[in-house]
Amino acid sequence: MISFINILVNGLLMGGIYAITAVGLSMQYGVARILNIAHGEFIMVAAFLTWMLHTTLGINPILCLAIVGPILFVLGYLVRHYLFKTLKEKTPSPAAFEGNSMLMAFGLLFVIQSLATYIWGKNIVGYDFMRYSVYLGEIRFAANRLVIMITAVIICFLFYLFLTKTRTGKAIRASSQDPDAAALMGVDINRMLTLCFALGALMAGFAGVLLSMEYKLDTFMGMGHTIIAIIVMVLGGLGSIPGSLVGGFILGIFYGIVSGIEPGLTEAAYYLLFMLLLLFKPSGLFGR
Amino acid sequence: MLEVKNLNVFYGNVQVLWDVCLRVEEGEIVALVGANGAGKTTLLNAITGLVKPASGSVTFMGQDITGLPPNAVVELGISYFPEGGRLFPDMSILENLEMGAFIKSSWKKRKERLEKVYQIFPLLKERRKQMAKTLSGGERQMLAMGRVLMSDPKLGLFDELSYGMAPKLVKESFKMLQKLRDNGLTILLNEQNVKQSLEIADRAYVLENGRIVSGGSCEELLHSDHVRKAYLGL
Ligand SMILES: Nc1ncnc2c1ncn2[C@@H]1O[C@H](COP(=O)(O)OP(=O)(O)O)[C@@H](O)[C@H]1O
Ligand SMILES: [Mg+2]
Repeated sequence: MISFINILVNGLLMGGIYAITAVGLSMQYGVARILNIAHGEFIMVAAFLTWMLHTTLGINPILCLAIVGPILFVLGYLVRHYLFKTLKEKTPSPAAFEGNSMLMAFGLLFVIQSLATYIWGKNIVGYDFMRYSVYLGEIRFAANRLVIMITAVIICFLFYLFLTKTRTGKAIRASSQDPDAAALMGVDINRMLTLCFALGALMAGFAGVLLSMEYKLDTFMGMGHTIIAIIVMVLGGLGSIPGSLVGGFILGIFYGIVSGIEPGLTEAAYYLLFMLLLLFKPSGLFGR
Repeated sequence: MLEVKNLNVFYGNVQVLWDVCLRVEEGEIVALVGANGAGKTTLLNAITGLVKPASGSVTFMGQDITGLPPNAVVELGISYFPEGGRLFPDMSILENLEMGAFIKSSWKKRKERLEKVYQIFPLLKERRKQMAKTLSGGERQMLAMGRVLMSDPKLGLFDELSYGMAPKLVKESFKMLQKLRDNGLTILLNEQNVKQSLEIADRAYVLENGRIVSGGSCEELLHSDHVRKAYLGL
């Protein structure tokens, strides 16, 4: 019973972060048609910024959500506005743009990674945050993990409300389903694409802040997160935003189960799941 | 109200519209007829900004709208029913209708607009929570039509409204267009269904291989030898 709850908590902990990460990538791929291979680098930058803010200025990491998140949003805005929008203007065919934008993101990955390594060095860093246990009834939880889990679920829930209840959120979903039809409704598609890319970076920012509360950081940590986000995106259905939310939690629970049985095999299990999905359910859970 | 002058449109190097001229006056139903591939959809796409014309001009209520992006064109009061309806498949009927009122001036009034559209299509109200992708062909057409009305447009462009519909529904939807016109909507209609559209329209243009080959009152066209031979099979 207790081990079942542990699996669930571990699963929700990772699941929440996965969901946030994957929703970010989905915003960029599903709407802006940019498979942002550099997504994990945005997460890494956010994690390092949080570490800096916490260790030098003593700012509470939870408060960092409200500082680092907006910084990443602006960063995403600038990247889409100056890099990908220009690229799009020079690559009129959508298929060619999808390919070229991935290459561009690849370049961005190495630029960000090298700059980060230049600034923060190659060492592994980290900080202690709420490293004590709390008891709910009989069961012991690491306090920081509980905070991460609850925050991630709240962020996902708020984002879901934003997408389903607000005018802009509805326009984002409409644009991801049929951009031309959305334009005919009066949606300024170009602005929408930039907004979606920036929101994707915001999500990367939140994920980075949360990760830094529990895990050690190095400037090469990004790639793994990008790959997991891609797996979740395939699991949920390419470009489907609700699919990414649900897929994140499913992969998280999957992680909880596998790591409960044999922690050394989680990576192998992920890639196996990924390959099986491509073979048997390539359209994903929510795919069209 | 709408004036298209010497419009030329290319896809890559291929020219698909040649010096197209056309007028629509306020309160009219104007039909644009022509065979598959004649360029009817391209013409509507050029008017609404989905494709950019190489030369020529489009004027709406005295304002030059040539090359404006689609979102700016809607704001001026032109609403487009694109070929196949183009609903948002993973959104409900209600959300599709709300998207029809996306522009700022309509968004504030979307509750009233919804009531209007529900009055015209009561079925949409009953099913408002249903996803668009689960609707039948006729229901989709109805929803797409309702969505066009949500922005309270002055001019409605309808591309192949009757496509894939059962004959009885075709009659009904053409009647609906007449009703909308009587309520103040000016209409430009693309149709392969030549006979029926000439029956409800005031005037029509015939488009062949990207050129307007004749235009005039529907009465005249229905009696012209060319139209009778080429489109009515008489
Ligand atoms: N996106 C496109 N790219 C290239 N050619 C196109 C495109 N859309 C339409 N065409 C071509 O332009 C011509 C006119 O097409 P269209 O405007 O769809 O005609 P209609 O609506 O009258 O059937 C056709 O020859 C068609 O093959
Ligand atoms: Mg057509």
